[in-house]
Amino acid sequence: MAEFTLDCLGEACPVPLMKTEKKIGELSVGDVLVVSIDHSCAMKNVPEWARKQGHNVEIEEVDDGEWEIIIEKTK
Amino acid sequence: MEKKTEQYDVVIIGGGAASLTAGIYCGRAKLKTLIIEKTLVGGLATYTNEIENYPGFPDGATGLGLMDLFHKQAKKFGVDFKLTDVKAVSLEGDIKKVETFRNVYEAKAVIIGSGGKPRLTGARNEERYLYDKGISFCATCDAAANSGKTVMVIGSGDAAIEEGMFLTKFADKVIVSVMHDNGKMDCNEIAKAQALSNPKMEFLWNTVVDSFEGDERLNTVILKNVKTGEALPVQVDSCFLFIGYLPNTELFQGVLTMNRGGYLITNERMETNLPGVYAIGDVRDKFLKQVATAVGDGAVAGYGAERYLSESEVFKKQVMNEGNPSLVYIYNGVDTYSRELLPLFKDFEQSHSEVRVSCIDIYKSDGIAKRLGVDEGPCALWIKDNQIQEKLEGEITPVEINRICR
Repeated sequence: MAEFTLDCLGEACPVPLMKTEKKIGELSVGDVLVVSIDHSCAMKNVPEWARKQGHNVEIEEVDDGEWEIIIEKTK
Repeated sequence: MEKKTEQYDVVIIGGGAASLTAGIYCGRAKLKTLIIEKTLVGGLATYTNEIENYPGFPDGATGLGLMDLFHKQAKKFGVDFKLTDVKAVSLEGDIKKVETFRNVYEAKAVIIGSGGKPRLTGARNEERYLYDKGISFCATCDAAANSGKTVMVIGSGDAAIEEGMFLTKFADKVIVSVMHDNGKMDCNEIAKAQALSNPKMEFLWNTVVDSFEGDERLNTVILKNVKTGEALPVQVDSCFLFIGYLPNTELFQGVLTMNRGGYLITNERMETNLPGVYAIGDVRDKFLKQVATAVGDGAVAGYGAERYLSESEVFKKQVMNEGNPSLVYIYNGVDTYSRELLPLFKDFEQSHSEVRVSCIDIYKSDGIAKRLGVDEGPCALWIKDNQIQEKLEGEITPVEINRICR
């Protein structure tokens, strides 16, 4: 049940999604990954992908145009 | 992982037009307000390409653009936003709880604007091809991907026909499966006339979906003629379902009163069966579901929640007097007789310093009277130990007042 971070600031789609997919694959069930993004398209496709996988997802706007996507791996 | 608990005055579940409006009203009333939205702030309206009937925008607005403005306005009034799913709720009692996977939010009032989700056909293999595998619910989102292709639309309501016509701008052919007889559609007459004369649109009457077929992706929809039972395979690249919505009310089953379809039942103040819990927008059992009506719902609930919270404060501190003796006179300010009785209570207050006397005008607001189970004045109540001890109706005299206040 550890928490990991993934810095994708300054990275455009589809890089954040690819990095997230890879990182989630390395985690264990129950772990939480916090992905930092500032590209609005990643705010759509990263959570969409994670929800489709059945993970728990929360998006937090940390600053104007900067978000944290919090993903709890559920399976 | 331990869930973090946070306190709010009002938590609003859902982030569509109704919820954003409720947020604007609560935020402006200086209530600490949180809106929880599971996907996109703006809700269903963001799926509509053009909104032509929302007043104030004579040139029309895009759903996304309009909802962005709502969002901005709510933020301006200090409303907090959380973009995540609500996992559980507990709505009974004074402090209500709304849980997400990382937090527990405690609120004094909860406003539910959770909207709905698209209804499915229930046909065979439907689950296998949902969303990016060929079955879509949003022409605005997926039309461009169908440029030069053949698509099918299921349904004949406003959404089906209008989105179908939008699809003709991209797709080569739009085949519409309609359940009804030839020429009969559920949409408005203008859309119907336009659709029937659109050369790219083709109609298959008296048909429903029997199954969805394909490999990795959908490539064939097998329709069934409802009259003859005959199967009709149609090759398509995508299929769009516009056959109505189902309310998002699973979390409230057995707790809040709903109709047979699962929509929440409220009164005209948007109050549900539980005090301090409101339902607004498309999740509510109502006559017309539009941005314009959602806004009205949101305003009513936002205002109602604000009044509920201030009345709760007065009720606890003044009326119940925190367990100490309290005499409450409920009167109607426009009724001369009940107004004439007011001096009796003023006199009582002067001679009994140990008793808190409150005179409540139900003409202004009936919230507190309702909490005391009183429908109309004049009525005097003797309260002690947070309970109504005696109730005096009709003949109210100094002798009677002194008799009940023991």
